[in-house]
Amino acid sequence: MARKRGRGMAAGWYGIARTAAVDRAGAWVEIDDGGTVKVVTGVTEIGEGILTVLAQIAAEEIGVRPQDVTLGDNDTARAPEAAHAGATRQTYMVGNTVALAARDARDRLVEAIAEQWQVAPERIVTADGMVSVEGESRSMTMGEAVHLCKTHGVVPLGAASFGTDTTGLDPIDGSGRPWQAYVFGCQVAEVEVDTVTGEVRVLGIWAAHDVGRAINPQGVEGQIEGAVAQALGQALMEDYVQVEGRTTTPGFARYILPTSVDMPMVNVEIVEVPDPIGPLGVKGIGEPAMVATVPAVMNAIYDAVGVRITSLPASPEKILALLGAKDETSRVAPVGV
Amino acid sequence: MPDLQITATVNGREVTRAVKPWHRLLDFLREDLGLTGTKEGCGAGECGTCSVFVDGVLIKSCLMPVAKAQGTRIDTVEALGRRQFTAVQKAFKKAGASQCGFCIPGMVMAATAALRDSPRADREEIRERLGGNICRCTGYQKIVDAIELARDVLLGLKPESVFDEETTADGHYTGRNVGRIDAPSKVTGALKYAGDMVMPGMLHAQVLRSPHAHARILSIDTSAAKAMPGVEAVVTCDDVPGVDNYGVFVSDQPVLARGKVRFVGDAVAAVAAVDLVTARRALAAIRVDYEPLPAVFSAEEARRPGAPVVHDYAPNNVTKHIPVRVGDVEKGFAESDLIVERVYETQPVEHAYLEPEAGLAYVDPDDVVTIWSPSQNITHHRHMLARILARPINKVRMIMSPVGGGFGGKEDMIYQGILALLAIETKQPVRLVFTREESMAVSAKRHPSRTRLKMGVTRDGLIRAVEYEMVCDGGAYGLSTEGVMRKAAILGAGPYRVPNLKLDTWGIYTNNTPSGAFRSFGGLQAQFATESHLDVVAEMLGLDPFEIRRINAMRVGTATHTKQELKSASLLEVLEAAAKASGWDTGAPTSRGAVRGDLFGPGNRVPLAPGSRVDLRMPAEAGEVK
Repeated sequence: MARKRGRGMAAGWYGIARTAAVDRAGAWVEIDDGGTVKVVTGVTEIGEGILTVLAQIAAEEIGVRPQDVTLGDNDTARAPEAAHAGATRQTYMVGNTVALAARDARDRLVEAIAEQWQVAPERIVTADGMVSVEGESRSMTMGEAVHLCKTHGVVPLGAASFGTDTTGLDPIDGSGRPWQAYVFGCQVAEVEVDTVTGEVRVLGIWAAHDVGRAINPQGVEGQIEGAVAQALGQALMEDYVQVEGRTTTPGFARYILPTSVDMPMVNVEIVEVPDPIGPLGVKGIGEPAMVATVPAVMNAIYDAVGVRITSLPASPEKILALLGAKDETSRVAPVGV
Repeated sequence: MPDLQITATVNGREVTRAVKPWHRLLDFLREDLGLTGTKEGCGAGECGTCSVFVDGVLIKSCLMPVAKAQGTRIDTVEALGRRQFTAVQKAFKKAGASQCGFCIPGMVMAATAALRDSPRADREEIRERLGGNICRCTGYQKIVDAIELARDVLLGLKPESVFDEETTADGHYTGRNVGRIDAPSKVTGALKYAGDMVMPGMLHAQVLRSPHAHARILSIDTSAAKAMPGVEAVVTCDDVPGVDNYGVFVSDQPVLARGKVRFVGDAVAAVAAVDLVTARRALAAIRVDYEPLPAVFSAEEARRPGAPVVHDYAPNNVTKHIPVRVGDVEKGFAESDLIVERVYETQPVEHAYLEPEAGLAYVDPDDVVTIWSPSQNITHHRHMLARILARPINKVRMIMSPVGGGFGGKEDMIYQGILALLAIETKQPVRLVFTREESMAVSAKRHPSRTRLKMGVTRDGLIRAVEYEMVCDGGAYGLSTEGVMRKAAILGAGPYRVPNLKLDTWGIYTNNTPSGAFRSFGGLQAQFATESHLDVVAEMLGLDPFEIRRINAMRVGTATHTKQELKSASLLEVLEAAAKASGWDTGAPTSRGAVRGDLFGPGNRVPLAPGSRVDLRMPAEAGEVK
């Protein structure tokens, strides 16, 4: 039997937002004419879907639809600091900040409407572009509410910043509070190893990750599927080679990347254990999704053919060499099965 | 060489242009016609971002000389869905198939071709037909999902309404699959990345790079380059007005090499000229005298006494060392029934975002130096640039252009300073776009690592002690090495209770391509060692791999390795979820693969026989659709 299957698993953990440093982000929100919403914050999309996530958060907090939200971002001269697009911090840092700023703007609007209607502000309900009073039939559109607010001389604006309670590490023993939110993940891999060619095919990945709260489940899946693809590249084929400081893999013809043909089925299990600190309960997923894949695949290769890859990538050449060495050993001293 | 007169039918309209004879079809589309939906990801026909139809056939436009386009009919992504999105575009939007979006126009073209050529293509055939298009964000799963969805609608197997956005009326929009708001601009190719942007009077920049891994610069003569017609500026380190020493964690990098070069590809001088060809010719006219120095190419060599020194401030070549200490490891090993030691190694890898580095800089009328670039850290880049340019912070403006994939690779600042110098020098907009080869050679890589891991456990599988030393090659500049070492140190021993821990991570300077920020930032390398090792130990103890992790799992209230009490910990939950979802068959990892009961289950992809192409049966014949 030239092709042998096996399974392996691995777990992992990760910290959310900047490491061993106080992280912070700021945002401005305005409930605008026509019941639309402007969100301004200084960081933007790198493909992970943060703009959509922020629109969802602002929409739900204020009571409009996501398509009513306009995002102004990414400009150090025009938007408040939201720091960088990395460190699995966008949903946590910027998402929580936008939620707080949206609540601040909504408070201003609700205060004016409550005064107009002579009801307690807590009784005002805003949802889907409508403003109403709990348990009553009185209502108006968000556009009308904004107009009314402005006739009271109030522009319904909000601002917020969100920071972390974190510290640096002690230089002697490393003690400290590097993050306030931690996430955990676990992946199982099923592989098939061709013992003639040494080629490894990953056929299935089951990926369970705690994200705190998934604002956009499809986006979370996309992050995990993409992370698995990158990790498989590292596990099986990618290698930036240098000889005396000069690369011999200078372009995509020599530097081999995973294509659609190489990808397994990725089965995502979203686990939601809310963050007890931030206002939304969200954590993050971008980077932690990559951690468990490589060791899960190596453990699966071991399960399939009994060779332990300790030096990445698990290229066909390495697999064959280890299989050969194993055969030698078993010829000298057969081991019982 | 005289211009060529090219006439072709592009997106249904006949166009005639005088073009440079060395232009590729890709240049004709992007430069001469302004159709920037067609992207350049590699320039070598490997990535598929430049896919277009020529006379109805899908081709890679970076491989076709423009002369061959004479008299052809060309369709680009802009031709699709001009009035209404095509089924493929709607499906990409619905399935969440676009992330950064840079590969998406090419993917949409390839998907359109796939369904035109094989309207009933099954999932495996779709995968094969996309084999010439690289995506670095999505893992292809949602792209293939999208094409299957489009296929089913086109075949009439599903109604058009499957493309509609889910509607809700309860006011809740979180926890729902709200469609990506940037999807329309990505599936149509309308989104402008930095390399797609043009401004009136815009100049083109090119960078002269070191051919040596380590050399002293004796002299740089730019006079011949400066004298060339069309060359507007040539800059070197002498043109930096402020403090020419920057970095995210440690300030060790000049904008352009100062005194010496430290890796092959180190930036030495830069040119702004009226066009790319003039800029490249000018580079060739710059004379640099180098005196080669002994160089060091591995972290191991660099740590030896007497090794060549990469940076004078770090005579031992150590960029950063992070220690973590808990309890007493000797005592822990003495209490252990089993002690296992192994070495684990990881290789350098490239981010391979499909969008090569690009930027556009200008000085605005208020004297604000403005830089558009796909920077992942505009805030910090602004701080660093203000210092480099000796300007107040509010006279430097960083704008983040749409990022065509970052993964950490666009977090370290490697070219924005050069653009700023050229814009200040010329008072004109200046654009710099890396080639793929330039990006590969000079952008940061994931840190290669070597980890020696020694673990002591009791017979029951309880970890008593871990000794862990990771050494990473950080390459020629510090970039994010310090942060990567810190994260590796905090996470390295895994989410497990380790009462006695001696852990060290070391980032080391060498004359290799710098290592830097890369998605999971040291966490991947560090936990590869620990998670492999736990299986080795589990086998020796006869424990199931889930079980050894459960036994040692951190829980709420556990102190981490850095002595922080966890307020929330979900390791047990994710272990449970993964075991359940995969139908895990319990047992020790004793290479029992062949006899385990959980193989070949649902959730796997059907493997192709080695060397086989696609199953060309119709899905109906294969029993997949009625």
